[in-house]
Amino acid sequence: MYGWIWRHLPGNAWLKALISLILALAVVYVLFQYVFPWAEPLLPFNDVTVDNQ
Amino acid sequence: MRVVVRTVSELCVTAGTLIVLFVVYLLFWTGVRADGAMHDQIDDLHHTWARGSAPGADPGATPDPDTTADPGRTAVPQAPADPAPPAPYTAGRPFAIMYVPRLGFTWNKPVLQGTAADTLKKGLGHYPGTARLGGRGNFAVAGHRRTYGDPFKDFPQLRHGDAVVLTDGTTWFTYRIDKGPYKTVPTDVEVIDPVPRKSGYTGAGRYLTLTTCDPEWGHSHRLIVWAHLDSTQPVEAGKPAALRR
Repeated sequence: MYGWIWRHLPGNAWLKALISLILALAVVYVLFQYVFPWAEPLLPFNDVTVDNQ
Repeated sequence: MRVVVRTVSELCVTAGTLIVLFVVYLLFWTGVRADGAMHDQIDDLHHTWARGSAPGADPGATPDPDTTADPGRTAVPQAPADPAPPAPYTAGRPFAIMYVPRLGFTWNKPVLQGTAADTLKKGLGHYPGTARLGGRGNFAVAGHRRTYGDPFKDFPQLRHGDAVVLTDGTTWFTYRIDKGPYKTVPTDVEVIDPVPRKSGYTGAGRYLTLTTCDPEWGHSHRLIVWAHLDSTQPVEAGKPAALRR
């Protein structure tokens, strides 16, 4: 999987490493901004009231 | 075969990384976001109060003549007798700041109207339908025990006699806790009744109820604390004794 991505990135090893780093940061950003806020209410930490559960 | 093993192990590493990132998000990032959001809410409140129209207060009256002219605003447990009925709180908007010295001398959180999940990310939430701050009945507030700034992390340390101080920009309300953390189940809506049966209060009064979850990282139970309004004073009189060191 990661090997496949690495092989398909353009440029030499340095450029590939740079693009990989940017891709990884983009993935982390999407996770923190969109995926985790969506997943978080599915866990119990939000239930602090006595009526609306 | 080798490709299969490699792909499976890569997927496992990816899943592990995802879980670690999610834990970082919960433990650290929600706290960073909540601290910023609470700070913004408190700034928002101070700006509104500085402009002289406290949210929920009579928009026509400026606080100064209102409080100085009103003999009801003295250091007795008596609600400010506003000339006009105050405007209802706006859902999702802050209207007060809470201070609990037991949770830390600098512990202060905005109180917002409503207990929606998004509202509780920005501060404590006032149960809609319960009494107004300082009003007759039960002023009930919910807060996160963990994640989103951990506002009520040390909730079990609250003791009989502890002060819970709130301000709405014109008045300081000092509540005193009567009953330490009481553990109940999430469906026990009686705890935010105007006179909660299990609190030991017998007659109508001006009460405060705080709720959070228990255990710390779970949601099987709730922790409840009850307090009664001990004193009020106008903001011009300075901070109440409970907040002075």
